Amino acid sequence: MATSSAPPIIFARDLHKRYGALQAVDGVGFEVAEGEVFGILGPNGAGKTTTLEMIEGMRTIDSGSAIVDGIDVSRDPRAVKARIGIQLQASSFFDELNLVELLKLFGHLYGRQVDAAKLLADVELTDKARSQVRTLSGGQKQRFSIAAALVNEPRVLFLDEPTTGLDPQARRHLWGLVRQIRERGHTVVLTTHYMEEAEELCDRVAIMDRGRIIALDTPAKLVGSLLGRGFTKERVERLANLEDVFLDLTGHDLRNED
Amino acid sequence: MRPFGVRPGVFWALFVASVRMFVRNRAAVFFSLFLPLIIMLIFGVLNFEGSTTIKLGVVDEAHNEASRNIASAIAGVESFEISTGDRDETLAALRDGELELALVIPASWGEMREWPALTAYAATSAQQDAHIGALILNSIVLRFFAGTTPLPESMVTVEQVAARDLGYIDFLVPGIVGMTVMQLGLFSVAFGFVQLKRTGALRRLFATPTSPVYFLGAQVASRLIIASFQVAILFGVGIWFGLQMFGDYASLAVIVLLGSVIFLAVGFAIAGWAKNEDQAAPVANLISLPMMFLSGVFFPRDAMPEFLANVTQFMPLTYVNEALRAIVNDGASLAALGPQLLGMGVWAVITFVLAVRLFRWE
Repeated sequence: MATSSAPPIIFARDLHKRYGALQAVDGVGFEVAEGEVFGILGPNGAGKTTTLEMIEGMRTIDSGSAIVDGIDVSRDPRAVKARIGIQLQASSFFDELNLVELLKLFGHLYGRQVDAAKLLADVELTDKARSQVRTLSGGQKQRFSIAAALVNEPRVLFLDEPTTGLDPQARRHLWGLVRQIRERGHTVVLTTHYMEEAEELCDRVAIMDRGRIIALDTPAKLVGSLLGRGFTKERVERLANLEDVFLDLTGHDLRNED
Repeated sequence: MRPFGVRPGVFWALFVASVRMFVRNRAAVFFSLFLPLIIMLIFGVLNFEGSTTIKLGVVDEAHNEASRNIASAIAGVESFEISTGDRDETLAALRDGELELALVIPASWGEMREWPALTAYAATSAQQDAHIGALILNSIVLRFFAGTTPLPESMVTVEQVAARDLGYIDFLVPGIVGMTVMQLGLFSVAFGFVQLKRTGALRRLFATPTSPVYFLGAQVASRLIIASFQVAILFGVGIWFGLQMFGDYASLAVIVLLGSVIFLAVGFAIAGWAKNEDQAAPVANLISLPMMFLSGVFFPRDAMPEFLANVTQFMPLTYVNEALRAIVNDGASLAALGPQLLGMGVWAVITFVLAVRLFRWE
């Protein structure tokens, strides 16, 4: 997809970010095509979040450049923010406001009137419309923060570790939500440290370690190139794993998350 | 998309959200509204004016043996709480409501066997006490002349003096208003904002194209409006308890808003510097507690040792309280409050600079 003729919606080149002695991001560059789900994979501290936040305009870029939907982030971070939706890692909202009030407020921050009921219905939180965020379960919070990131009908949706800390049912539910968002035409960039999540959701993944991208391709090709080098698992490949057992026993239905 | 430029709609939305967040935060409402109200009710009910003595000022202009004799006879009456001084200061104290009755012994009294009438000035604000006091004075003078014939024609003439009757409630309400303004600025901002910082709710605002300065402005505006409501409520309750308002409400509003600005700036300085509530709390208390007790909220600063009074007169809440009392109790206009306004202005500049320098969004 990166090779399609349309210009990439995200073009990041040679990004650097340093915190004191730590070179958090050390020359990262990639392109994301419109409509793609792009994953950044990596262990904790690999620089995934910092990379994302530089592209979002949430952090200044030490050197290198990021262009989102034709706009240089360093030059006009507000214009970029107006076109994208951001779900922060562990993002929280004003405690005293309910979900509808929050979505309407965020709509105003983008200069828009929003259909809060529709946004909540899309993330299956209609019955929580008058609740406060702190009363939501982990999965509901993540779904709400995706709804809040969609108030401006963004060209690109950034999700920073959207399923960290969720149980298997809630994680799979969120995957379904991300696929729906993609089907509606939004480009999605997400970070994760769950390999199967990347494999399930992403058209292409960049694997980061120590501030650099060490591999970037479709999940199938990454696995293929590894096998092509003669890799075999030490253990006999089983056709199911423990998570499959867990889901078989407990079902795919979302748990009562109140 | 027009995310730039001034957008009143955004400001209004953030303002409404700020007010909602405050009103729905039970701790904030309790500490900044109900606590001052409860303190006022307690002190209002306690009523420190329950004394049964009559406050009498004695002015001895004769300075002779006879005048000293009559003065000591008066001093022997247990119902009197006596202070002495010259004519002007005593009558001024009478008009201010500090005395209920003032007795002037004229200079010619007892000279050349002349006994001109003594004058008792009675405060109109304490008619009953003044009337009883005058009767007691008459009887003392009568006893003083017992056995002498003929009796002087008139012994004590009573003159009414228009006086204010300032009770403890009149002292307390301006102090409580000052304290509330301080608490609201310091605590609602220091804690609320630090919490938004710590949880990341503030950071979430950064993810939108709206400048966070809008949010800051909305927070300040909402606090100023809330402060005005609180002052109105405290005044309402105060008036119900007998508070007298001699000044105008516009001047009062100016002082309340200026005071709010000072303490909001302090609150933002703390919120900007602190990483979490545990850091903010001790600093906010360290700033507010000394002022609560040394800026004349509950008790007059006259009672303080001189060195302490000298130091504490420069505290921001002292200026606020002095200005509020001058307006409420004396009907002072803003023009008469030069020193206090100057003091508040200097503090507003200092705290604003501090807030700007210490403030960090993350």
